[in-house]
Amino acid sequence: MRTRVLPKAAIVGIGCSPFGRSLPQSQLALGAMAFKAALADAGLQRNDVDGLSLHLGWPLGSDYDRYAEAFGLDIRYVNQTWLHGRFTAQTLQSAAFAVASGMADVVACITAVSFTRERGFLGGPNDVEGNREEGGSHGESPPYGLTAPAGGAALAMQRYMHLYGTTAEKLAAVSMTMRHHASLNPQAILQKPLALEEYLGARMVVDPLRLYDCSLINDGAVVVLVTTDERARDLGQKPVYISGMQGIRAGREEFIFAPRGMGINQQSGVRVPARSEDLEIFASAGLDRSDIQGFYTYDAFSPLVLFALERFGYCGVGEAADFVQDGRIGLGGALPINTSGGLLAEAHVAGWNSIAEMVRQLRGTAQQRQISSAKALHWGTSWGDGVILTNERRA
Amino acid sequence: MNEMLDKPLPRISPDTKPFWDGCAQHRLLLPTCVDCDKPHLPPGPVCPFCFGDQLEWRPSKGLGQISTFTVVHKAWFPSFAGEIPYNVVQVELDEGPRLSSALVNMSAGDLSIGDRVSVVFVELGPMTLPYFEKS
Repeated sequence: MRTRVLPKAAIVGIGCSPFGRSLPQSQLALGAMAFKAALADAGLQRNDVDGLSLHLGWPLGSDYDRYAEAFGLDIRYVNQTWLHGRFTAQTLQSAAFAVASGMADVVACITAVSFTRERGFLGGPNDVEGNREEGGSHGESPPYGLTAPAGGAALAMQRYMHLYGTTAEKLAAVSMTMRHHASLNPQAILQKPLALEEYLGARMVVDPLRLYDCSLINDGAVVVLVTTDERARDLGQKPVYISGMQGIRAGREEFIFAPRGMGINQQSGVRVPARSEDLEIFASAGLDRSDIQGFYTYDAFSPLVLFALERFGYCGVGEAADFVQDGRIGLGGALPINTSGGLLAEAHVAGWNSIAEMVRQLRGTAQQRQISSAKALHWGTSWGDGVILTNERRA
Repeated sequence: MNEMLDKPLPRISPDTKPFWDGCAQHRLLLPTCVDCDKPHLPPGPVCPFCFGDQLEWRPSKGLGQISTFTVVHKAWFPSFAGEIPYNVVQVELDEGPRLSSALVNMSAGDLSIGDRVSVVFVELGPMTLPYFEKS
């Protein structure tokens, strides 16, 4: 039995810059817009922030000390992750640890990207990660022309389709649902609905991934402010509690963009249904999976949604492509996913656009996208980490 | 030939050098644990199974099957642009470990998971890389 996470941390402010392609502003300027919006949302002042948890630092983004210098902050706690988008939960968890331990009072989780200017880092000759001594961690193989995270997602989905008979027509449901959600979201980049014919007719990028299986490449920033549950009660917004957590999984049975054991890289090829250690996030929140009213996940590539669903046992091994059919993951369905449109249709802000959406949902301010009486939402990824957010403190 | 030279070369570390030296002699060598007899890839400093320190390089038969693949349609690398669409595969060697590679003389539609393949060696500038062909 896993120990409960003591819900001592809460999200008290969210702020977003505009999201778009080739925005004129610098990363820091987008970050400043989001930071100011988050402070105003929380009713906090800049000087209240004494911790930074920075997602996407070098080589894609600015580092923590530049933010502190540029924004005139005085910081006593820092966490920073590097290039990858995978660290959404870790960045938020680190903020929760910091305020719960007293190392900081208010931590700003900052993510600011200018992917349209920096896309060279995402694959090709300037992919410094793929070309380093131990290579990249998405299955990159530059001497054979395989680069970029998309390559790893394609290797995994090809095998998944072989094992379970999944078709492109079924996979399409993920991208089409995200586009529907984005059509209800005025800040989303792709608000036009996606028809099956358009999905199937789009160019192949890295087989079996077509254009609309791949996330947006855009610019934008999101800032999320975290403080203690005690302080949260005295602030302007209804607190959203960080009530459950589970960390990133790694090892020879793991590959970042595949279910455990599916036979990518050195995975054994032996898949098993979600085990208790894969599901500890629910126990850590004192909740059952059936209490979750919405699932939010890192949909950089549409297959990652399938893999995340199987990771957390929302369906069985090989069943996710069927699970996502018939409106089940859309608003009004049994398990709405990425209700603001995710990385596929709202914006690629490394998942923080979805964290902000979870907060809106739990405050009851998601307007036409509102999940009725949302109480518990789950952020979980194909690499097995996650966070459960709730609208009440789970004492 | 200049185009070939522009392709990214494998990075060589002290752990992987014997692998690439083997390729230069057209031998596919696997780091293998002297204690538990298991080979592993990618080459590491210790046995990932028993954490033993004693590794020796034993020849693979160079036979295996395609465990997954992709076909690249996007020109991420200028040096590969003329080959689009081109394949990249993961091969599960009969000895167990998998490696990324590509099939030679292969049109993209002819690839299937489970296809039996055998290793061939191809010069890439100053280095020799393992590729595969259908058995």
